[in-house]
Amino acid sequence: MKHLAMTTVLGAALIAGNAPAQDLTTFNAVMPKQRSANYFPLIVGEALGYFEEEGIEVNLLPSDTPIPFVNFLRNGQADIAMLDSAEVLQAVAAGVDLNVVYEVMQTAPDGIAVSGESALSDVSELEGETVGLVSDRDRVTMQIALDARGLTEDDVTTVVVGEAGPTLAAAFRDQTVAAIAGSGPDWLAIQANGIPVKLITPEEVSNKPGNTFAVVSGTLEDKADLLEGYLRAWSKGMYVATFAPDVVAKIARDTVPEEWENPEFGQQYLNNAIRLNVSVTDTLGGLNTDTWSAIQPGMQKFGLIEEQVDPAEFLAPGPVEAANDFDRAEVEAEVEAWRADNM
Amino acid sequence: MSEIGDIRSPQGGHRRTVILRHVGIFVSLISAWEIACRLGWLDPLFFPFPSAILTGFWRLYVAQGNIWPHLGLTMAEVLVGFVAGSAFGIGLAICVGMVDRLRRYMKPYVVILEATPRIAIGPVIIAAFGFGWTSKTAIVMLVCFFAPFVNTLNGMVGVEAEKLSMFRSMRASKTQTFLKLMLPSALPEISAGLRLAMASALGGALVAEFIASNAGLGVLINQYTSTLNMASAFVCVLTLSALGYFIFRGMEELDRILVFWNDRDRTARVGERRKAAWAAGKGGKS
Repeated sequence: MKHLAMTTVLGAALIAGNAPAQDLTTFNAVMPKQRSANYFPLIVGEALGYFEEEGIEVNLLPSDTPIPFVNFLRNGQADIAMLDSAEVLQAVAAGVDLNVVYEVMQTAPDGIAVSGESALSDVSELEGETVGLVSDRDRVTMQIALDARGLTEDDVTTVVVGEAGPTLAAAFRDQTVAAIAGSGPDWLAIQANGIPVKLITPEEVSNKPGNTFAVVSGTLEDKADLLEGYLRAWSKGMYVATFAPDVVAKIARDTVPEEWENPEFGQQYLNNAIRLNVSVTDTLGGLNTDTWSAIQPGMQKFGLIEEQVDPAEFLAPGPVEAANDFDRAEVEAEVEAWRADNM
Repeated sequence: MSEIGDIRSPQGGHRRTVILRHVGIFVSLISAWEIACRLGWLDPLFFPFPSAILTGFWRLYVAQGNIWPHLGLTMAEVLVGFVAGSAFGIGLAICVGMVDRLRRYMKPYVVILEATPRIAIGPVIIAAFGFGWTSKTAIVMLVCFFAPFVNTLNGMVGVEAEKLSMFRSMRASKTQTFLKLMLPSALPEISAGLRLAMASALGGALVAEFIASNAGLGVLINQYTSTLNMASAFVCVLTLSALGYFIFRGMEELDRILVFWNDRDRTARVGERRKAAWAAGKGGKS
């Protein structure tokens, strides 16, 4: 009982400890997950002090609510939100004054996977089969994939298998469904636990921005310095992975030990996150106007958006320039110094 | 009497036998589980090896020690939400119990609130109160409000009419009637309501953590199940079970203290003590 009481006091202290330091300004960021290797630029930026250098303390608001993140931007609870391309286009179509300022993941993590032991090797072979959806949001992924092979949703039977790891893994292992539509992190845990997985994702599915950072116009105008500082710190964290993935791994192990209890899983998870998070454009977080135009006809076809929107209406490239305004050599030197001290 | 004395006594011997039987049943169940896992009869995706869970306890509590801040946060949410929700429930029930008109108008709203599923109202509370401590406490408060409210109200309005008439005939004030009659009559039911609220508080905190949180046992369970680390997820679940058990036992003890007249042995002991004190006092005077 004494230990429990002490733990409760510790919890209360933890809550009290959440108060921001006096010289740092809190920047509220709403994202789908807690601190994780999946969004390593945040934990790397915090561990190496990049956010602190910008005078920012990131208040991460992880949410698994069905309430659209854009609502938290509008009611002022969040300064910045991580949205996928569909959420951005739907919000803009609904008349929300939204600005995409940074592309966090320039390729989508979504995909179609089958058991490693399955005879299926292409989405075209799914006709007449049952396809599992990790969540209902993955229906579009499946629709785009089927469309790319001349099939429609009517050609398959769909069932939502859920996000719970064990249920998903059992569906793969026992092949109760022929294929599953979901995203990269969904299969990684399954693979790391010895269940073979084979990806049959058509190129059309991944050729879209996976996640973006978006703000409302008020933030763009009133908190420009904070926003630029936040994105610059994020970019620095991302940049570290390009030359020192071992440092990123060490930071992830220390920050989120839960993801590293199975080291093989931890490393695979991080490798996948690095592949998705590191920008493919020369400019970190750069906005691809052409891609935003290209993805809209498909989304309109599957009823995700009612009408297409000119990307110029919601892409705000201004902060990206500031986000890239840092000395690469300086970051490399800092990381080497950190490595010498901590590894 | 010393503990050794207790064990050697017939009562102590019986207690030891009961404990040994409990340990025997527990060890047999765990061994059967382990054997079933090793023989492949149980799917380790859903039922991890007990030996792996045991190792998980060591890892989470000692080697990594990462469970402590999560456990502390969940307990803090449970305790603050429970105290606030129960206090609000009991307070409101007292007001409603004392004023008939208030009771007539308030009751439907309280019932509607109770009938609304917490899992559905959770996101709305997060949207209204934000992601911080307030929203999580509000969810636990909401969960802990109803049982103390209903039980307190039932206890207060269930006072025997004859006793009420007697208090009125003796010109007792409203405060006296409340303190000397209604509150003591309602205490057993209030205590039962508090036990129910405490049992639900843990569930409320978990719902809040599943929806939106940076830390807490709910977050840890989510992280572990999504990475198929079922042994560690079971450690968190068993921790919650143990926490729930100790909380419930704690509430039972509180109940024994608050409503001591419901416990015959305790009433007899109190009676004996008072009798002895009275006799001693009388002896002193004579």
